[in-house]
Amino acid sequence: MKRKIRVAIPSKGRLRQPSIQALQRADINILEEERAYVSKTSDPRFEAIFARAFDVPLYVQYGAVDLGITGHDLILEREADVHELLDLGFGKCRLVVAVPENSTIRSINDISEVARVATEYPNLSRKYFEGLGKQVEILRVRGTSELAPKLGLAQIIVDVSSTGETLLKNNLKVIATILDSTCRLACNKIAFRTSESEINEFLSRLRRGGLE
Amino acid sequence: MALRPEMTAPVARIVTTRMPSAPEPIRLFYVCNVFRYSQSYVERGREFRQAGVELVGCNTPEADGEVLALLISSLKKIGLKEVRVDVGHAGLLKDLLKATGLDEEKKGILQGLLGYRDEARLKKFMDQNIFPPKLREAFLQLSSCRRLDEVSSVSPVSSKYGKTEDHLRNLSEVRDVLADYGIENLVFFNFSLTRKIEYYTGIVFEASVPNLGLPLGGGGRYDDFIEKFGKLKIPATGFALEIEKCLQALDAQGFQPQKGEKIGILVTSRFRNAAIKAVNALRNAGVVALLDVKKSDEKKVIKYAKLAGIDYVIFVDSSLEKPATVYDAKSDVSRNVKIKTFLQSIGG
Repeated sequence: MKRKIRVAIPSKGRLRQPSIQALQRADINILEEERAYVSKTSDPRFEAIFARAFDVPLYVQYGAVDLGITGHDLILEREADVHELLDLGFGKCRLVVAVPENSTIRSINDISEVARVATEYPNLSRKYFEGLGKQVEILRVRGTSELAPKLGLAQIIVDVSSTGETLLKNNLKVIATILDSTCRLACNKIAFRTSESEINEFLSRLRRGGLE
Repeated sequence: MALRPEMTAPVARIVTTRMPSAPEPIRLFYVCNVFRYSQSYVERGREFRQAGVELVGCNTPEADGEVLALLISSLKKIGLKEVRVDVGHAGLLKDLLKATGLDEEKKGILQGLLGYRDEARLKKFMDQNIFPPKLREAFLQLSSCRRLDEVSSVSPVSSKYGKTEDHLRNLSEVRDVLADYGIENLVFFNFSLTRKIEYYTGIVFEASVPNLGLPLGGGGRYDDFIEKFGKLKIPATGFALEIEKCLQALDAQGFQPQKGEKIGILVTSRFRNAAIKAVNALRNAGVVALLDVKKSDEKKVIKYAKLAGIDYVIFVDSSLEKPATVYDAKSDVSRNVKIKTFLQSIGG
């Protein structure tokens, strides 16, 4: 009757490989990494689901998967009601406010109330600017928000930055940090009750495997 | 103007304004649509249905036990398996959180840690925030309790911390009532459970099944809420189940609804009086009987019966005592038989 414990893993991007490696260190090897969205693992009680990191918080909240590896920033952006069981250490990044190098905006205080902000993180951005009492216009874009200032779509972007390289390459400077983030193991709240022993075992294996 | 997000407030209003002289305790139930707006990415259903009960005018552990027992039996009755209920105590958590003296943000972090049941992180947090030893011990013990009977062995907490001792006693008493109902093995303790509703004062609970990641419903005790609508303080407890979630859970468990195996019969006759009598007799016997109101000829009646999925067509003579012609649509055969005998043959 009981189905396998489903673990969602970022299907692409910078979080994919370290996530797979973290599982390997916990002795859970993914068997069909190359082909499938759903993959068996070396432990028959667990199966891996490859999903967009951005969607993982939702999958976990609604119980489509029991566990999920994704960024703390994404869990907050999605306002996902999940348990963050473990800080996996990798995937370090900051959610920052950035403007073009030559912009007259030097700090957050210089931002006018009618400014346009391009971002993949509309929720966190709105909250941040509301907290400053600024009703900026939030433009939700997918990927490459760095492009927005170049094309005049927005004067400001809110995006994640791990090394700062991409921002630099696009002549953007950071004027504020909204939050620091790392990769987390998120758990569905009901699954944490109904599959407590399996999930706790999974947790201690991850811990034993040594986090980054 | 507001759309109701839940039914407890409307029930509280009805109790105070429309039922002032009703003898207490009052037991009420509802099945209603409620509305919630969410700005989340997923288009959540903004209207959904709840079925719930309220037990008003009583604050005994027996009242809490009755509501919990009804919750569990309701879920079992609709066919769900592996039902579990997690119980917390809103007053206990509130009083102990208050005793920490932390600001709201840190209280939020602490509540999260209690939910993760991560002892190491909890200890670290409490050390960083300099918890008094007794309070520290209370948090550690309560967050590790999985069962209500473990709560009774939690060492007495200082009376400085609000009504903590009353709350702990209350949990043990409810546990004893549940044991009398024989359901204590389905009920778990979860110190961090809050239900995100402000008005709860006593035990709070959530029902769930494996393989459905959202609670099916829940409820709790709210002893200070009804007085907001009237002048009297009236204790109460209740629960609400989300009907759509229950259906999803049944689906996830592979529940097959029993097919309606009722037999459908079409009655036709040149003698209307006899036909109506026959229809009534068949209905009284528990079968679905229809009168041929179109007064068509035999061929058309049979054609209609086949198309409409009717099992039998009965051609009634002038009286029910006389044998009728019974046409069986499945085998395409007719026979002459008295209606009583026919009913016996189909087990009516």
